[in-house]
Amino acid sequence: MNHIVNDMVVRFANVNGTGSASANNLFAKAVFRMGIPVSPKNIFPSNIQGLPTWFEIRINDKGYLGRRDGIDLLVAVNPQSFDKDVKSVRSGGYLVYDSTKKLHAEQIREDINYIGIPMMRLCMEHYQNPRQQQLFKNIVYVGALATLLDMEIEVIENMIKEQFKNKQKLIPSNIQALELGINYVKEHYELLPYRLERRDMVGDHILIEGNAATALGCVYGGATVAAWYPITPSTSVALSFDKFAHQLRMDSDTNKKKFAIVQAEDELAAIGMVIGASWNGARAFTSTSGPGVSLMNEFIGLAYYAEIPVVLINVQRGGPSTGMPTRTQQADVLSSAYASHGDTKHVLLFPSTPAECFELTADAFDLADRLQTPIIVMSDLDLGMNVHMSPPLKWDDNRKYDLGKVLNRQELDELEHFGRYRDVDNDGIGYRTVPGTHPKKGSFFTRGTSRDEDAKYTEDGDTYVRVVNRILKKWDTAKDLVPGPEFSSKNDHPNGIIYFGTTNYAAMEAVELLEAKGIKVDAMRIKAFPFNQEVEDFINQHERLFVIEQNRDAQMRAVFMNELDTNPQKLVPILNYDGMPITANNIFNQISQLIPVSV
Amino acid sequence: MSYIRPVFRHPELAKNAIGYSRKDYEGAISTLCAGCGHDSISGAIVQACYEMSIEPHKIAKVSGIGCSSKTPTYFLGNSHGFNSVHGRMPSVTTGAYMANRDLKYIGISGDGDTASIGMGQFVHAIRRNLNMMYIVMNNGCYGLTKGQESATADKGSLTKSGSETKYPGIDLVGLALELNATFVARSFSGDKTQLIPLIKAAMSHPGFALLDVLSPCVTFNNNKGSTKSYTYIRDYIEATGTVDFVPKEEEITVEYEEGKSTSVQLHDGSTIKLSKLNPNWNPTDKLSAFNRVQEAKMKGEVLTGLIYIDPESQDLHDVMGTVQTPLNTLREDQLNPGMEALERINQSFR
Amino acid sequence: MINWESNVFPGILGRTCDRPCEPACRRGRVEEKPVAICRLKRVAADNKGEVKSLMPRAPKEKNGKKIALIGGGPASLTVARDLAPLGYELHLFDEWHKGGGMMRTQIPAFRLPEEVLDEEVNYVLDMGVITHFNHYVSSMKEVLDQDYDAIFVGTGAPRGRDLKITGREEAAKNIHIGIEFLANVAFEHRDKIGRKVIILGGGNTAMDCCRTSRRLGGDDVKVVVRSPFKDMKASPWEIEDAMAEDIPILNNMPPKEFVVEDGKLKGVIFGKVRAEYDENGRRKLIPTGEPDEFIEADDVIIAIGQDNAFPWIERDLGIEFGKWDIPVLNETTFQSTNPKVFFGGDAAFGPENIITAAAHGHQAAISIHHFCQGLDLMDRPAPGANLVRQKMGIHEWMYDNDIAADLRYKVPHEDKVITLTNRKIEVELGFSVSTAFKEAQRCLNCDVQTVFTDSLCIECDACVDICPTSCITFTMNGEEEDLRQRLNAPASNLTQDLYVSDTLPTKRVMIKDEDVCLHCGLCAERCPTAAWDMQKYLYNVTKASKIL
Repeated sequence: MNHIVNDMVVRFANVNGTGSASANNLFAKAVFRMGIPVSPKNIFPSNIQGLPTWFEIRINDKGYLGRRDGIDLLVAVNPQSFDKDVKSVRSGGYLVYDSTKKLHAEQIREDINYIGIPMMRLCMEHYQNPRQQQLFKNIVYVGALATLLDMEIEVIENMIKEQFKNKQKLIPSNIQALELGINYVKEHYELLPYRLERRDMVGDHILIEGNAATALGCVYGGATVAAWYPITPSTSVALSFDKFAHQLRMDSDTNKKKFAIVQAEDELAAIGMVIGASWNGARAFTSTSGPGVSLMNEFIGLAYYAEIPVVLINVQRGGPSTGMPTRTQQADVLSSAYASHGDTKHVLLFPSTPAECFELTADAFDLADRLQTPIIVMSDLDLGMNVHMSPPLKWDDNRKYDLGKVLNRQELDELEHFGRYRDVDNDGIGYRTVPGTHPKKGSFFTRGTSRDEDAKYTEDGDTYVRVVNRILKKWDTAKDLVPGPEFSSKNDHPNGIIYFGTTNYAAMEAVELLEAKGIKVDAMRIKAFPFNQEVEDFINQHERLFVIEQNRDAQMRAVFMNELDTNPQKLVPILNYDGMPITANNIFNQISQLIPVSV
Repeated sequence: MSYIRPVFRHPELAKNAIGYSRKDYEGAISTLCAGCGHDSISGAIVQACYEMSIEPHKIAKVSGIGCSSKTPTYFLGNSHGFNSVHGRMPSVTTGAYMANRDLKYIGISGDGDTASIGMGQFVHAIRRNLNMMYIVMNNGCYGLTKGQESATADKGSLTKSGSETKYPGIDLVGLALELNATFVARSFSGDKTQLIPLIKAAMSHPGFALLDVLSPCVTFNNNKGSTKSYTYIRDYIEATGTVDFVPKEEEITVEYEEGKSTSVQLHDGSTIKLSKLNPNWNPTDKLSAFNRVQEAKMKGEVLTGLIYIDPESQDLHDVMGTVQTPLNTLREDQLNPGMEALERINQSFR
Repeated sequence: MINWESNVFPGILGRTCDRPCEPACRRGRVEEKPVAICRLKRVAADNKGEVKSLMPRAPKEKNGKKIALIGGGPASLTVARDLAPLGYELHLFDEWHKGGGMMRTQIPAFRLPEEVLDEEVNYVLDMGVITHFNHYVSSMKEVLDQDYDAIFVGTGAPRGRDLKITGREEAAKNIHIGIEFLANVAFEHRDKIGRKVIILGGGNTAMDCCRTSRRLGGDDVKVVVRSPFKDMKASPWEIEDAMAEDIPILNNMPPKEFVVEDGKLKGVIFGKVRAEYDENGRRKLIPTGEPDEFIEADDVIIAIGQDNAFPWIERDLGIEFGKWDIPVLNETTFQSTNPKVFFGGDAAFGPENIITAAAHGHQAAISIHHFCQGLDLMDRPAPGANLVRQKMGIHEWMYDNDIAADLRYKVPHEDKVITLTNRKIEVELGFSVSTAFKEAQRCLNCDVQTVFTDSLCIECDACVDICPTSCITFTMNGEEEDLRQRLNAPASNLTQDLYVSDTLPTKRVMIKDEDVCLHCGLCAERCPTAAWDMQKYLYNVTKASKIL
């Protein structure tokens, strides 16, 4: 019998609020610790307790970490979703279920394999406390699953010991639950044809949520003021910032905070606070999601026009309106790029991994200060709330913050004339001053109304045009400051694909799937808006470009058309917007239908 | 030409303790209507800051949108100002205060900017006891959009066109008391003798200081029948007491009548002296403040003066536990934990 | 014409006036220098259009009264200008061949070109004045004996003081009296002077003498004054102009002796002194004990003052004279103790200046007119005055209320390499029209009054808040001394009255200290009820005839 080693999709179907998440993560991380690349995804409801939730882990030796269709192994412990869950297993796959109660006839499929483990019974027999009974049921199935897949049990045991390092008395009961599962399987089942074997494929990688990495980017980027309003899926950015700042940012002498976090009354207030803090010379950020960005629109326009640095983390979720709050999408491209009324456009950064969340967020503070404008980091729910295997986070200790053009007291003294919005260096960026710098020079009135180069209110048409055109000049300056695209192959083929953010995982895999079918494409990953010359060249040099995005309206394609004047015929949208992370197969199928296989 | 102000000032103008003259605290020339109460409040701010000898650049001015919010252009020209968006001044000020706790913050708002569109942010600024002076230039109407009645217009008050206000007005003073504001006062733009010491006290108070200043709109709400007109306010004005502000360095020289005066010591060492008090009112007793406000309301008085002060008010940064150094002055060496710490974090994710 | 109406000699005075008005200019209260009123009058005069046709004319039909005007200077000419339109027959006597008096004899052409002088003198003479030039009146009695209805004496202060010290007689050939020297130059009786010249004296005549000397061959010209530099009588700008022509001014050096060798002047010996002032400010010059100083000189010009001199007026004509040979006059009417005889100009109260002479002339003309018509001389018509509202729109005024911050502009000068070669080349070029406009914008508009109507005031404080110079205060009324202390800005100029309103509804009063009011009109602009108004005030000094 052929074993399938280290290549499978395992899904857990749970009830939320039952402690399943930590058990599922335990399993995923154990795989990771065996040196095997994993990609867990939490598919959860907008609810705290009682609704179905799924946890899906792709395990892949080759390092493909995008979602893959077809569930090889399903642990189904939610009676509410059970019937639907049974149907989701691929033909020939395995279903692990709680066999305390018998299955109904209609729940039995001929084409899949059933592995019954009497989880409830085992727990009822061994634990008295109802809460424990419920919690350990999860550990029981982890033990069972680990055994079925021939995992290194001690990896899991060690993790349990690590987890309860400070609550030693919980260790034996957990180990016991694990063993209940192990032993039951050993007694009743053979190993599955799916196996997990130790590899050395993860190197020094880490397994981290994008939001945690983003929060670390804020700490390392020098943010001192954070203002936020709770909203899924961005909440953990602020909470992680709070956690890491408490670890890394306490004054050693006084034990006082070198940061301030305000949980605002709403998103409007949150960004207002960021603008106030940035205006006052601190690095500040807010994190939110699409609905929050909608609320922030007025202030984003103010920051754009009054030229105040802002770092805004947009962890996108499914829209429109409240939409699918716990599902992922890349559907805020247009609403972020052109947020607010009047002529505006904003610098967007598109991280695709936690390492990039860290890096681009830290960069965002430099860019915001340099360009004196809002910088929006476009994460998404998949990236932000799921753990991803990521290269370790890196920081160059010699790196200095680029605080941009801020005049200090001495510089003001030496200056003959200060005009806040004068384009002294011909890069579209004026010099700013921070309140409290100088008693007689450099004060000005920041406003959202039109003003001249010296920050004086004016409604003069010529002056207005001069000022807004100068702000547009910053846009050109920005093109050379933002990170350029990443190419996996370039200029060889008439067809190219373009993608960004978390689509990365599926797109990379799709390129190989296509290649295996003889379809060769060049690939470019956009890391930022505005687009630099390389992006333009790539688009000009290809006959046809497949623009892969996770939204309905092909928003990035629209931005290309809008900004680069690209012929729409040339840009073929490849879309997925069901709220689940896009899969490689989906991309492959859509593209391969459009390109005849060349021999 | 009221769009140009001559550069000359009185050659014998005095200088304050730090060598600045009144001119150093002036702003650009006002573009509000002639006789607007707001301009008097601007004048009072200039005078108060001059007399308090605060360096102009140590003050930041923040406002929302509306006639009131235009005024920060018209005072303290050597201070940075921020004319933000409608009703959002408190959040901008909160952020600014987070960034630099060493500046004094003057927030200017109007009745529309505070009691309608900005009500949410207003109450939360009070809730956090944000260290700022929050002035509402309250004229009971929307001046900049030509005179619509506002949420602070009193029920029964007549508009310029003669129609009657149908809904009860929101009393910002009563609201602030209810929200545990630590400094609550009301004044009148036409009474600088009272307004200037109140501004000084508000700026010295370590917490949220509300100054609800009745400020008649000469163009749209100074008509007969309006309860926010110069005449009406003068006819019905009633003060809680006479206010004097004595800075830390100065000695109290005025004699106050025994039993009819009281003083409140502020954190920075300065003192608010109150005299000619109403016998049933104590500025540090919230219950008596509530009662006094209600009593005035029932009598139809326009109650002005200091209404409540909590001398134990605690600065927001102290509540939050932030460092004394303003956060905006911290640089890489104080902010960045470095690669070594990051590697420890990485390790925790393996 | 406005420029000419009261001033009579705007082109002349715009170049030569002593500027008694400028120290009064309130611009000098808010910064160092007042508005250049004098030089602005010159620009206005230089750039006027055709005015001759606008001038009043003498009626063909005379009124039968005959007036003698003795002396052809500014006082007599003013009297003539004011009386001519009323039909008087005017006879003007002067010892020189042209009119103008001291304006012609004592003011060098490089300060006052002859064309300008002629033009403005002729405006008057052309009004049918019968001139008797080259006619030195040597006897008042003779004049009185003729059939004149009134006589006006405007003969100036024609005698230059001399300095009787050792050597004066011996060196008489090379020692000159200032005003005589200037007159001789003016009438081209003299066109040379020695290489080394010493001018004694520190008044304007001394300045004119030294600068004239520079143009007649004096290349080592010095002014020596006995007192300290700061006590010099000459106008500061005259001193400045002299020094700009490389003329040193040596001070604290009283002359002791003219040194003569071989009958020829060699120089002057000066003592050295310092000034001390007693508690009354009286000055004493105390010798310092330093050795005397000898300064070489080919010529010396004595310009140490002028005296009145009326040797031609017999003392038995009922015209009384007082101290220093000055006639006894009624100070309002300028009438002497002989009712037919009137005095004006320097002849009246001693040396003053041209504009004072013109002022005297206006008053004397009224007196003469009343005298001839049998009216009471003391019953004089009041000066013309009116107030006119200036408001146009929200912030538009009929007057220029934008007070320029510019410092006083300097009048450009011709290059001295050119001017020193020819005494007739005018040194001052005058303001260009555009510079003059800018200079005029410095004016604080004293002619526009802030008028307060207390019944309109709603006490909104708008005027107090806007006033750039903190002039306005609302406070409880009180005694003036106390009020002056309680104002928003100190009112320490006691010569400036406070403007106090009636009691207002809040029991307070409005008090305005006019001292440094800029008349910018901002109080009136910010006033919602027009309680403040800006009203233009026109003052027109009374003249015998209506000119405009």
